[in-house]
Amino acid sequence: MNLRLSDLSACFEGVIPSIIATASADGMPNISYLSHVVRVDEEHVALSNQFFAKTAANIRANPKVTLILVDGFTGDQFLLDIGFVRSVDAGALFDKIARQLRASSVQVGMSDVMRLRSADIFRVHGIEKVPSPVETAPAMAGRAPVSLPALSEAIKAIEQQAEADEIIDSLLGSVQRVLGYSNALVLIQDNYRGCLITTGSIGYERSGLGSEIIGSEGLIGAAAMGGQTIKVSDMSRVRRFGEAIGLEAEGAENTTRTIAFPQLPMAMSQIAVPMTARGTVTGVLFIESTQRLAFREEDEAALEILAGQAASALRASEREAAVAETRQVTPLLEPAAGREIRIAHHRFDDSVFIDGTYIVKGVAGTLLRLMLEWHLNDGRSEFTNREMRLAAGARMPEIKDNLETRLLLLRRRLEEKRAPIRLVRAGRGRVRLEAEGPLILDATAGD
Amino acid sequence: MRLDDRLLDFFNRPLMCIIAVADETGRPSAGRGVGFHLLEDRETIDVIFSAWQWPRLEPCIRKTSRIATTFVSPSDYVSFQLKGSATLRSTETSDLDRAGRFIAAATDELESLGVSRPLIAPWLTAREARVARFAISEIYIQTPGPLAGMLAGARSQ
Repeated sequence: MNLRLSDLSACFEGVIPSIIATASADGMPNISYLSHVVRVDEEHVALSNQFFAKTAANIRANPKVTLILVDGFTGDQFLLDIGFVRSVDAGALFDKIARQLRASSVQVGMSDVMRLRSADIFRVHGIEKVPSPVETAPAMAGRAPVSLPALSEAIKAIEQQAEADEIIDSLLGSVQRVLGYSNALVLIQDNYRGCLITTGSIGYERSGLGSEIIGSEGLIGAAAMGGQTIKVSDMSRVRRFGEAIGLEAEGAENTTRTIAFPQLPMAMSQIAVPMTARGTVTGVLFIESTQRLAFREEDEAALEILAGQAASALRASEREAAVAETRQVTPLLEPAAGREIRIAHHRFDDSVFIDGTYIVKGVAGTLLRLMLEWHLNDGRSEFTNREMRLAAGARMPEIKDNLETRLLLLRRRLEEKRAPIRLVRAGRGRVRLEAEGPLILDATAGD
Repeated sequence: MRLDDRLLDFFNRPLMCIIAVADETGRPSAGRGVGFHLLEDRETIDVIFSAWQWPRLEPCIRKTSRIATTFVSPSDYVSFQLKGSATLRSTETSDLDRAGRFIAAATDELESLGVSRPLIAPWLTAREARVARFAISEIYIQTPGPLAGMLAGARSQ
C-alpha cells in the first residue's frame, strides 16, 4: 500500500519528537530531534527552521533529507525521503506553520522560547512504514467519521435560533451530539475590557460562566488573536494554562471579583476554535477531552463550520434585537413585598454585588445598574435592548455588537448565584427584571 | 576525540539514541540505536541497532563508513552527538544483554515521563542486532539552548 501524508495525520501533532537526518556536501551525516513537522499538502511538508546550525547548513549544501515521524497515537514510525525546495519567511503558508509551531510549543511548555523566523519547505519523495516488533494499537482512524447529515442538521438548528442563549446552547449541544465531546465552552469577545468571557458551558462541575481569558493568554487567547484554530493533543507534559484554581475558588469570587475558569482535571487534548463572522472574531469555541489526540483534522473542520455558523447567528440576533419594535413598556405594579435586596455597583470595574455576593462585572454589570436605576426612578420593570444600547453605548461603543450576549451572561450569572433578582426575556429585544423584594441600589459603593 | 568525565557521567543515565548514515550519493538515512558500549580508551564506541527494523543502516555503513549518533537524556533533553567512521563487527551475546538493559532503562524513563509502554514498544527492538564500532572524531553539544552545536569532549592525547 502506498502511504500518503494524509494517512500520517497523528504524526503531525507534535506529540512525539520527529527526527531529521541530513548529510553535508562531503557525505558526513548529522542527526537531531525536531520539534515539529507541518503537513503542507499531499506532497510537501514544512519544518520550522530552528534547527541546529549544522542541519541548516547541510540542507542548503545537500537537499536530500530523511525524516522519522512517529504516530503519537499508535507509536508507529515512518521514514520519509524528502528534498529541500525553498524557505519561506512571510505569507499564508509561513503563518500557518508559525501557528502550528506555537500550538506545539504550548504543548511542550516552551511557548516563550519558540519564535519562528522562517520555515523550510520539502517535497516528499517516499514514505515507508518502519517495521514494528509489536502489533501496534489500532489507529485513530478506527473512530467513526463525522456524520455529514448530523452536521447539516446541527447547522440548521443553530441557524433557526433567534436568541443568543438558544444559539450558544444549540452550538454546545451540537458539539456533544455530532462529535461526542462532553466538555465545551463558548467565550464571547469583550473589547471593552480586552478579554473573552465564558458565556456558555457544558460538562464542567462548575460552569465557569463569567470567567475570563485576558488578551492572548493560552490556547483560547491565541486562537482569538490569530483568528485560527489551535489545538494541543497531549497535555501530559504541560501545566494547565490560566490561573491555578483552588477548592476555595467559588468563595474567593467575592473578594477577587474573578470567576475561576472551569477545569477538566484529566484533560489531555484541547482545541480552541475562533467564532468568526464577516472576518471578525467574536468569540471562541473551546473543547477539551481526556483522550490524547482527541481532535482529528475532520473534527477540526466540523468545529470550524459549527463555530462560524453560531457566530453568524449571534451577529444576526444582535441586529434583529436592536431594531425590534418597542411597544409601550408596562409599568411595574406595586413593588414586591419581602426583605430588602441590596445591590452594590462599583464604578471602577462595573462589578455588581447582590447582598454581598459577587455577580458580574464589566458591560453586564453596567447593564444591571442601568436597569436598576430606571426601575427605581421610573418604576418600570421592562426594558428594551434599544434603550440600553443608547444609554450605555457612549461609554461602551462595542456594546452595539454584543448586548445580547452580555444580557445572557448577566441572566445566567443571576440564576447560577440564585440571586433574589432575575432577568426574564419579555419578547424580542426586551427583558423584564423580577425581584423578590424591594431593591436598594448603592451605586457609590466604595471602590 | 576523547570523552571527558562529564560525558562519561552522561552516558550512565537512561538514554535514547538515534543514528544517521549516508549512502554514496549523499542521501542520509536514519534509525534508532538500542544500546552502546564505551571502550576503555574513551575514544571508541560501539552502537547497537536492529538491521531488521532499520535495513538501510547496515549497507550505508558498509559503503561509506560515515556515522552520526545522537544520545539524549529524555528527562531534560541534554543531548550529545558523536560522529566518526564506523565498521561493523560481529554481534556477541554481551551486545544483546546491553541492548536488553538499554531498552528496559529507556522504556522505564519514558514511561516515568508520561509516555505509555504500548507507545514506546514499536521503537526499540534488538532483532537482527548489528554493532557499529567507530572512533569518535567529533562530539557536539546537542542540548537545545545557547551551547547547541558547540564542540564537547577533549582532544585525543
